[in-house]
Amino acid sequence: MKNNSILYIGILIFGIAAPFVFPAFKVQLSILCVLIVLATTWNIQGGEMGYNSFGNILFYGLGMYLCASVQVGMFFPLAEWTESGGEKTFVHTPAQFFQGMAVGLLVAALVPTIVAGLIGYSILGLRGHYFAICTLGLGVAAGEISGGIEIIGAGQGFTTPPFPDVGSLDARGEFFYFLSFFTLVLTFIAVRSIYSTRFKLILNAIRDNEDKAEAMGIETMKYKIIGWMISAFFCGLAGGIMGGLVGYIDSTDVAFDGREMGVFMVLMAILGGKGTLWGPIIGATVFHIFKEGFWTFFLGWQYVALGVLIVVIVIYFPEGIMGWLREKYPERFGEVVDEKDRKAQVELK
Amino acid sequence: MRLNKIILSFVSALVILFSTSVASFAKVVGDKIILGAAISLTGKYSSNGVHTQNGYNMAVDRINSMGGVKVGGKTYKFDIIYYDDESNPKRAAQLAERLISQDGVEFMLGPYSSGLTKAIAPVTEKYGVPMVEANGASRSLFTKGYKYLFAVLAPANLYLDVAIDLAVEKNNGKGVTVAMAFEQDAFSQDVRLGVLDAIKRTGSKKVIDDKLPKELNDMAATLVKVKQMKPDVLVVSGHTKGALTAIRQISEMKVDVPMLAMTHCDAAKLSKQHGKNSQYALCASQWHKTLTYKDDFFKDGMTYDADFTKEFGYAPPYQAAESSAALLVFKDAFERANSFDQKKVRDALAATNMQTFYGNIKFAPGGQNVDKPMVLFQVMCDDSGKCENKVVAPTKWASAKLIHPIPSWSKR
Repeated sequence: MKNNSILYIGILIFGIAAPFVFPAFKVQLSILCVLIVLATTWNIQGGEMGYNSFGNILFYGLGMYLCASVQVGMFFPLAEWTESGGEKTFVHTPAQFFQGMAVGLLVAALVPTIVAGLIGYSILGLRGHYFAICTLGLGVAAGEISGGIEIIGAGQGFTTPPFPDVGSLDARGEFFYFLSFFTLVLTFIAVRSIYSTRFKLILNAIRDNEDKAEAMGIETMKYKIIGWMISAFFCGLAGGIMGGLVGYIDSTDVAFDGREMGVFMVLMAILGGKGTLWGPIIGATVFHIFKEGFWTFFLGWQYVALGVLIVVIVIYFPEGIMGWLREKYPERFGEVVDEKDRKAQVELK
Repeated sequence: MRLNKIILSFVSALVILFSTSVASFAKVVGDKIILGAAISLTGKYSSNGVHTQNGYNMAVDRINSMGGVKVGGKTYKFDIIYYDDESNPKRAAQLAERLISQDGVEFMLGPYSSGLTKAIAPVTEKYGVPMVEANGASRSLFTKGYKYLFAVLAPANLYLDVAIDLAVEKNNGKGVTVAMAFEQDAFSQDVRLGVLDAIKRTGSKKVIDDKLPKELNDMAATLVKVKQMKPDVLVVSGHTKGALTAIRQISEMKVDVPMLAMTHCDAAKLSKQHGKNSQYALCASQWHKTLTYKDDFFKDGMTYDADFTKEFGYAPPYQAAESSAALLVFKDAFERANSFDQKKVRDALAATNMQTFYGNIKFAPGGQNVDKPMVLFQVMCDDSGKCENKVVAPTKWASAKLIHPIPSWSKR
């Protein structure tokens, strides 16, 4: 337990010091935090519950649009802000910007949670591939629909409020880094405490055999919906932050970016190891580093390189990095291998 | 728990990785001026991204081989750091940040497309990095008060309004009926705004106003409506794919319309890809090789066309020409500023007033080029099936007469 707290404090110090130690990497580090949040919350469904969702991008995109809309709408007419691709210019004062961001993030977290509840109620009855395909459609549909809504910029995109001039050039990077790092810490604490309760066991029971779980008297539907709502809460938050960080929201390429973010969050969780607490975190970090590296060194071929990486993952690490480590060093995961028993089994054959 | 050891070593490995990967370039290394550019090498804009990159490279080679840039009595050569933005605004904004804060780039060239430029401009503006861009035409880029953004091209709303004027003129000054189909992206929607203005101004009427999905592969539904409504003009804009899809389906469905106005015909190599099927299409263009502008580096449009074709194996679309022009602008500004100070270079850029093979360049306070009109060309084919783009408007540059109305498919 003591060891654990040292680890957490170490990571926390690293997280707080990172933007000052590596000032040039602030944006990448912020994105890393967002990626970890997305992978960790995807893991609630995909890993612990066994429901492979491609629809979490819906909450991310929704959060992004909501946060920006609230941030603008609180102080200026939103329709004029986005009219003709944002021809008119309004400037937020620092106070307006931060107030707007705070309220915006709150809305960006709460509304997707409610939406997840409503959609979950109607589609979480689907199982296996049917659920996956249905959720895949959610993101695509949301992208196309939002691309036609004039008040949020439609196809012209939505320029989020520029960061106010507070004197320092680094302020923007630091603000968004700490915001995303704080969200990451919040997500981690929330997920970790959830995983230490009966809730996780229920999710696992649903994954292992939903019918049996139901027969045991568990209201599976309720827990499935709650699980998805928790994911949606943090996905929305991550989306809101990402919108401000990117500065420009496009319906299919930035917000409801199922082709990239939507797939990446699944990949990262699988790479790190589904159904573990640390798996998605490690997966997201490794993935992000590889991806940035590929972008620099394999210009124009990065997706080929990424494809090779995915093939390698699937073939050699089907259970992810954590799964692989666990198999290799079971004793480090607190698993005791009874040599006598193991030998006895082998000899019997 | 031993697990912690694994995670701890993982975290420390990360720290080492980060600290070793801080590569730093400076804006000017030795005799090199390093410019940064995020270009769409993959994704939906990849063909135009490559045109842009080829245009940049062509100009870099030409300027470097003809003596480079002279600043403070010393000669410098251009060099460009490229990244692939994957046609994604999120990625583009990230890369701009990376070019500036990690690679230390102090001068930028623009990406391809309005959407990506919209994502990058706030970043360059924040850091005060002068950016000369050649492919972001959206009008809203020039109303934001950006001080470090300079576009060598005319804004998107001017692309096709000339076509409406032309149609009205052919209709004896009376308003016409217009069918519009535009892709859901920043550039095409801006072209739409320009067309809407022209419709209002000329007392015309819009009969169809369709928004088409990105990565346009099918517009049959719109064309069915066009067949029913029989508008005087059909306007289509959706980058390269839009142009290709429109011609493919119009010829397949034999849609008769008196005037077909589009964008990106030359980038899509329409006359080559679709031959006679693309005949009579009217296309907005920032540049055409027959225009008689001149400069010292590329001489004129015809020479640029020949040199580019020799080097890259295809005729330069205007996207390449305007990209080359961006470097000429940078060279001119550096020499006039006689300094690498970003503010001085910015002021020199703002005071640009020059002619290039691509056209005159003079920036309005918003950053758009106000000294270069758009041209319209029409795809015209001879009996042997060889097609060529000929300028038909404005009259000053016209090398052929507009064929109007387009003969129906049954008579072709």
